[in-house]
Amino acid sequence: MSEDVGQQREVPINRAGMTRREFLRLTGGVIVLFALAPAAEPGTEGQPGPDSAEDLNAWLRIQPDGRVTIFAPAPEVGQGLRTSLAQMAAEELRAPVSCVEVVLGDTARAPRLAPDPDQPTLSAVGMRVRAAAAEARELLAAMAAEKWDVSRELVKLDGGQVVLLPRPGTAVSIGELIGGRRFVRRLGRPTPLTPPSEHQIIGESIARLDGPAIVRGQARYVGDVLLPNMAYAKLLRPPCLGARLVRADTRAASAQPGVIAVVHEGDLIAVVASRPNLAEKATRHIQATWEEGAHPEMSTLYQGLRASAELAEPARQQGDVEAALAGARRGYSASYRAAFIAHAPIEPHGAVATTEGATVVVYASTERPFAHREGVAEALGLRASQVRVITTAVGGAFGGKDGPEISVQAARLARAVGRPVMLTQSREEELTWNYFRPAALIDVRCGVGETGGIIAWDCDVFNCGARGAWPPYGFPHRRLRSYRCNAALRQGPWRGAGGPANAFAREVHLDHIASELGEDPIDFRLRHLSDRRMIRAIQAVAERYGWRVHRPPTGLGVGFACARDGGSCVAEIAEVEVERLSGQVCVRRVVVAQDSGLVVNPDNLRNQIEGAVVMGLGFTLREAVRYEQGRVLTRSFASYPILTFRDVPRIDILLPASRDLPPNGDGTPALYAIPAAVANAVFDAVGARVRELPLPPASIRAAANR
Amino acid sequence: MASQSEGIQIRVNGSLCQLEVDSSRSLLSVLRTELRLTGTKYGCGAGECGACTVLVDGEAVRSCIFPAGHAHGRTVTTIEGLAQGGRLHPVQEAFLEAQAFQCGYCTPGMIMGAVSLLRKEPNPTELEIRRALADHLCRCGVYPRIIRAVQLAAAKMSK
Ligand code: FES
Ligand code: FES
Repeated sequence: MSEDVGQQREVPINRAGMTRREFLRLTGGVIVLFALAPAAEPGTEGQPGPDSAEDLNAWLRIQPDGRVTIFAPAPEVGQGLRTSLAQMAAEELRAPVSCVEVVLGDTARAPRLAPDPDQPTLSAVGMRVRAAAAEARELLAAMAAEKWDVSRELVKLDGGQVVLLPRPGTAVSIGELIGGRRFVRRLGRPTPLTPPSEHQIIGESIARLDGPAIVRGQARYVGDVLLPNMAYAKLLRPPCLGARLVRADTRAASAQPGVIAVVHEGDLIAVVASRPNLAEKATRHIQATWEEGAHPEMSTLYQGLRASAELAEPARQQGDVEAALAGARRGYSASYRAAFIAHAPIEPHGAVATTEGATVVVYASTERPFAHREGVAEALGLRASQVRVITTAVGGAFGGKDGPEISVQAARLARAVGRPVMLTQSREEELTWNYFRPAALIDVRCGVGETGGIIAWDCDVFNCGARGAWPPYGFPHRRLRSYRCNAALRQGPWRGAGGPANAFAREVHLDHIASELGEDPIDFRLRHLSDRRMIRAIQAVAERYGWRVHRPPTGLGVGFACARDGGSCVAEIAEVEVERLSGQVCVRRVVVAQDSGLVVNPDNLRNQIEGAVVMGLGFTLREAVRYEQGRVLTRSFASYPILTFRDVPRIDILLPASRDLPPNGDGTPALYAIPAAVANAVFDAVGARVRELPLPPASIRAAANR
Repeated sequence: MASQSEGIQIRVNGSLCQLEVDSSRSLLSVLRTELRLTGTKYGCGAGECGACTVLVDGEAVRSCIFPAGHAHGRTVTTIEGLAQGGRLHPVQEAFLEAQAFQCGYCTPGMIMGAVSLLRKEPNPTELEIRRALADHLCRCGVYPRIIRAVQLAAAKMSK
């Protein structure tokens, strides 16, 4: 069940960093801790925080009654983490899922884990939970073996107790084994994980544990938090991006009904009132003078990126690209672009903060509670241990809620007024004042050799970062350069970062070359691939779809694309219908094959992949943040249209699994291949080669009628 | 435009509520802040996403743009009022069966929209479902499952 935030007061909040230690001292049972010296213990590369108190935080605790609690640093953002972690712990402990409780995203109770952008949360957190559970299992088994004076192989855990194998019927409960004592183990040395062939719970489509609360309207999001004496805040926003507040007369606003205070602290200006609507109304009475800065213009976005480019990291290369390009039989170059896009979760950003003495507690809607804790600590001049971040249910994040800004603002306001403050954004604020996914400009130069295969691949990536840009193909000469640029808008993390844009450039370019050479797009890719998992995924989608290429100008088209991301391989086929006169694209069917290593919960993974296809179609077909004279124009769902029920195609999902690999399964990989699969299908349908996201209907129309 | 507090009477999930609020305030804000019925969500405040959908006299309305005063003397059902005597409404059951949610934030509004649709059209085609729910947004992209859930619910309710 999702945590009832109202009940989390059981841990005294004024001792944010201490509670765990006290708890450890008091409680009996089995406790598996974070590794204390991660550097010395390979396999657990997690970093202790700036303050060492959290070293004592446990991953897992087994109470004498056999109930298991998992403490994990990441929150539930809809990816089914709670359920998947419960499954993994239950599997290793041979206990029913119903015995496992999962506490997520509470910095005072969970171990800190350094975020690794290349490792999906499920595998980063899940593999540690499995290791902790396996460690606990081995400890209990060893205790039972000792009690019966037999070797370890002769005992096993089953259904919450330990049984003696040679003598069925002889068993001891976990409570009896523990006997009121406390055992502490540290994660670090390798523990035997249950081999996939023996899995009984991992691999099952168990229903989401938080599902009943969700359908009853009882899941608690940050806007649902209620603290005694809580007030509501609204920020006063500048008239345009980059404007600076020169002065403000807050007297009229202070006199408005319900207003508790108008806070003006440096760059922060907000009304705090007894009701959210009153706070909002009163902001209109602040007389503010702003100094407008340079106005970013959308029309010069891509020139600006190119002009400001600086190499972000050393070029990655293999072979001699320049020489190979010079000696190639044919060369193909093109530039690709992708617009800024917004995360646009249906739940806008929000935070509730309260201060007690020298400590601050923040209820946050984020995927990165520890980053919020550190952000708040820094802004308020506190130690990290004086800040506790409790993550509520999160109504969609997609990377957009990583940054701690809103938690910092709420904490500053709470400190200024001396009472709990809820700060939430309106839809317009959500789409205007948060960071966006970086726009991308990608140049590809490619050389084909005598045998018709690609011999040289040279890729320059501007602004969106190199993630997913190194080709998964065995081109003999490859180079990748990634440039940092001055972007006009604020930008930050987004599911898969630059991966979808990089995959778009590569996969459209390959499709282009295949068609120029008169080759089948799938065969052309296969001749450059040796990765067996990728080949298997490609064959799976091709077979399911019944792959054959249509020839223009039928108006109906099929396109293919594939990609690799963080241990996953994905192949996708899209079928589209293009209306020649308008350039409108209707996606009718999508087939995805994704190999993400071990699949913990197949139905949940399908759900994630379906969702990724839908979201990916949004930025393939129409999403773009538009701006002019320093003002974001796309401030509502009417002007920033995400995909709706009307646009959803039939989606088939295949899960060729590699059970011996870590569970990398989330929806992100499926986002990578969808834009190119659709763009390639558009080419197949009407002969329009479009190299820009979202695919502009005008370009499709123009190219189709050329 | 100055508007003042006045007495409003609304029957919410079966109980009569007497409220002293600015009658131009949105029903959403009154439900969430005054009545602490937080299952109904804010997503846009402009009638564009459906997260705030509730039933007023059995009809789905966007409570974010529905003035509380207009609910005076009427019956409002929110997601909290759907289960009867601890038993989930068939639409809620169907959402669970189809696992038709990810983050769950759009779910209460989706469920209320589906309840209202099935009241008017107990046996909708897929196209009718897509049309009826077209203005309900789900950023997690759970649409295909929601369509399945509505079909499942229709089948349950026709039994
Ligand atoms: S919040 Fe009412 S329609 Fe979006
Ligand atoms: S489930 Fe997240 S918005 Fe629909």
